[in-house]
Amino acid sequence: MVEPSEPRRSISLPVLGSVSRRTAVKGIGATLGAAAFATAISPLRKLQGEISAEELMQRHYKELSPEDKAQVINRLENETKERFGADVTIDDPRPIPGTKFVYAINLSVCNGNGKCVEACHKENNHDRDTNQSYIRVLEMQKGTMDMEQANTTYDHTVPAEDKFYMPVQCQQCDEPPCTDACPVEATWKEDDGIVVVDYNWCIGCRYCEAACPYHARRFNWKKPNVPAAEINPDQGYLSNRIRPQGVVEKCHYCLHRTRKGRLPACLEACPTGARVFGNILDPESEIRWILENKRVYVLKEELGTKPSFFYYFDS
Amino acid sequence: MSSAPLTSEGMPQTPGHIVSYPRFLVRALMLATDGSLLFYTWMIALTLIFLVGANAWANQVVDGMIVTNMTDHVSWGLYIANFTFMVGVAAGGVMMVIPAYLYRDKRMHDVVLLGEMLAIAAIVMCLLFVVVDMGRPDRSWHIIPIIGRFNFPISMLTWDVIVLNGYLLLNLHICGYLLYMRFLGRTPNPTWYMPFVFLSIAWAISIHTVTAFLYCGLGGRPLWNTALLAPRFLTSAFIAGPAFIIVSMFVLRSLRVPIGDGPIHTLVKIVRITVLINLLMLASEIFTEFYTGGAHTSSARYLYLGLHGANALVPWIWTAIVFNVIGAILFLHPASMRKRGLVITACVLVFVGCWIEKGMGLIVPGFIPSTLHEIVEYMPSLTEWKVTVGIWALGLMIYTIAIKIAAPIMMGNVSLLEHGRKGE
Amino acid sequence: MTHEQDQIHVQLGRAACAPLCLILGVALAGCDGAQPEAASASTVSQTSTNESVMLHPVTINRPAGPPVARVQTADAEVALACSTCHDVREPDFTNATTTDLDLFHVGLEFVHGDLSCLSCHNAEDYDALRLANGVSVPYPDVMTLCAQCHAPQARSYENGAHGGMTGHWDLTRGPRTRNNCIDCHDPHEPAFPRMQPTFKPRDRGLQPAQHHGEEANHG
Repeated sequence: MVEPSEPRRSISLPVLGSVSRRTAVKGIGATLGAAAFATAISPLRKLQGEISAEELMQRHYKELSPEDKAQVINRLENETKERFGADVTIDDPRPIPGTKFVYAINLSVCNGNGKCVEACHKENNHDRDTNQSYIRVLEMQKGTMDMEQANTTYDHTVPAEDKFYMPVQCQQCDEPPCTDACPVEATWKEDDGIVVVDYNWCIGCRYCEAACPYHARRFNWKKPNVPAAEINPDQGYLSNRIRPQGVVEKCHYCLHRTRKGRLPACLEACPTGARVFGNILDPESEIRWILENKRVYVLKEELGTKPSFFYYFDS
Repeated sequence: MSSAPLTSEGMPQTPGHIVSYPRFLVRALMLATDGSLLFYTWMIALTLIFLVGANAWANQVVDGMIVTNMTDHVSWGLYIANFTFMVGVAAGGVMMVIPAYLYRDKRMHDVVLLGEMLAIAAIVMCLLFVVVDMGRPDRSWHIIPIIGRFNFPISMLTWDVIVLNGYLLLNLHICGYLLYMRFLGRTPNPTWYMPFVFLSIAWAISIHTVTAFLYCGLGGRPLWNTALLAPRFLTSAFIAGPAFIIVSMFVLRSLRVPIGDGPIHTLVKIVRITVLINLLMLASEIFTEFYTGGAHTSSARYLYLGLHGANALVPWIWTAIVFNVIGAILFLHPASMRKRGLVITACVLVFVGCWIEKGMGLIVPGFIPSTLHEIVEYMPSLTEWKVTVGIWALGLMIYTIAIKIAAPIMMGNVSLLEHGRKGE
Repeated sequence: MTHEQDQIHVQLGRAACAPLCLILGVALAGCDGAQPEAASASTVSQTSTNESVMLHPVTINRPAGPPVARVQTADAEVALACSTCHDVREPDFTNATTTDLDLFHVGLEFVHGDLSCLSCHNAEDYDALRLANGVSVPYPDVMTLCAQCHAPQARSYENGAHGGMTGHWDLTRGPRTRNNCIDCHDPHEPAFPRMQPTFKPRDRGLQPAQHHGEEANHG
């Protein structure tokens, strides 16, 4: 393109010239566009300190060797110290062989005081700003099981006249629609019946949240805010460790407690003694006695989810 | 490649694909970036809108999805609504493919690429709408088979990943192959694209069926839990897709791209039917919901009438219904074959109508009341609108560029032999 | 699994009347596993059928003993047993309501069926309780007294389906502590007290329920 100094090619000169000028303008345009795009998405740079390379490359929970797991847990403990200023211990208790956990709530006794909601909030290091909790207590109208006549925001002395109270949390279904929905197997049902989430594998698509008929799943719309002094340091990898932003979480029957034989936090907090927890495979367990002797029902039985969570009335 | 026998048909010293294909790509790039002032203005405007969206998305990734107005109660919103709608638009392109290839409509055959390229742009938009809806886009690789963990075949979302990407590849191949052959000045070899064309017809049905199955397979969401959902999705897809193409054909005509009345008339005839089927299905749904009554109809009551004083979606759905009904009347009017203004109005009405019906009129009310019958309403946040409009801008850019490349090649203005010659 | 053990549990019952002494009456402190018979909850014998797995105890809270009345004298606070007064006062079987009572018992609220004081308090030994058949029951065993009327609750309690607890569901791994009837039910006013919820959800967009539910009930 240097040679068109020859006079006889002068007719084509403007054309060539315009092409090259055009190309140059295009180049500038493309550069500008790329620069503008880089600027537009530059907020992403803030993630550099947030998401480590190890986290980015971390494999699925089931693919982690014991050494990998130890490394991951160590990293998470350090990150918790760094970001939340709390010394925590993250454990990874596995299901106890021969155990299938089942919960039951006595609705004749529950008075809707919400201590379980609060206990869950504290035990599981939930976001303080939203009073997040895995439990919602429905104030139900006596004489109907229609949840549309219920509400969760009641704020008066309980129990109110003509009401009964129904706490709802993850029902740990035997046919969980949520785990079927997950496109990446980030949530699954473990041998003791607990449906867990790998918070480091979840992509945050929230399909499980749409699939759950019990409003049991929660999404971390932002980084949870928990003051260091209030952080429960006794944590589990698949349970109450502080969740990252952008992933789904749910009730895990306090597996960091229950897999060590302890009762769930919501049960211990219940001042009415409405909650019963145990191993359904043990024929002598309290829970078995209830199933055999009380009039028990499950929520939304017609959906075929087969909950491991039962409600009953005394009489 | 079975190109060897074709080269003998008086094609002087055709270079091999190794040379001609890169030339094709370079030429395509030039075609995509050359244009009038109008073209540049259009593209720059779209770029700016896209950048606003990209910026909003970047902030959303950093600050968390709290910047959207989605909640644990309404956990999908504008993004998934648009995703669902765009799957329909992508599938709608097939309404050109069927007449062109199944019924051998010659005039449609000439412009069928418009439908296929629309499918490409729409699918790219779908994928982006899914990505912006993800809480952890940094973990996108988890959903890639083999390197991630792909919950196939249980999760309907994995089916959707397969069918959407498959449909994208099919259409890229068909468009790319036909354009390349035109560019080479050869008759396309049917064995290299006809099987894919027929596959793409079935595939178009599948993308919207699978997308409907995402929702209608959820027992806990009565509004979605209906066998009519997939047929309804397809029907509205076969309204929105052709409507968009009709309008883009008129736009192209005004830009002096020669497009005859034939394809437009065929598409108008198609929409005349689908718009009625859509209304019929809507009526069936409404009848079932309201005549039956009961707790399972709460979402429908919320959507159409409002529930316990909450009625944010009522104006939306009635707008959609009015638009669809007026659109249907206009399409059925004989003048819709003659009057450009009338048919464009009808197209816009039904396009918007279907957009509302599938998004704010279907995805959002599926969550209201929630599964515990709590009522939390939803209206998109500014961030959501920015990101959404940004993706639409990108989609339009892709569609524009695709047409920009395809039109001169299909009209024979640009080919390998004329490589280097000015197209304009 | 023995019959004796079952018997014990049936007898753990609901308090009917308890300390008539006021000012700081009942000491509800747990007995820290000090009562083997109560601790041997049904789970113990049942889970250890096959082999003798070491099981941790189930401790049921019990009042330490009879209630006391605290009286401030010139130099010190004196704890008085019920019998201090009642040994020298004749029981008045005609007392029908708490308004008939005087001294320490003035102002006592009583809402517990048609019972009278001496349905549960032992007129022959005011430092103990009595069953309907006249058998004396020491205060720490108040649940036996409750159980004689509240059999369904006692049965549920015995099977772990009534009353709060803390500790371990799995007794092979740790102990459990269970509430006594009178931990939650005031024997004189046994209806569970009404409570004010203190922790409510604050989800974004969740409106207080004035329209939802309330309206459905009233309208």
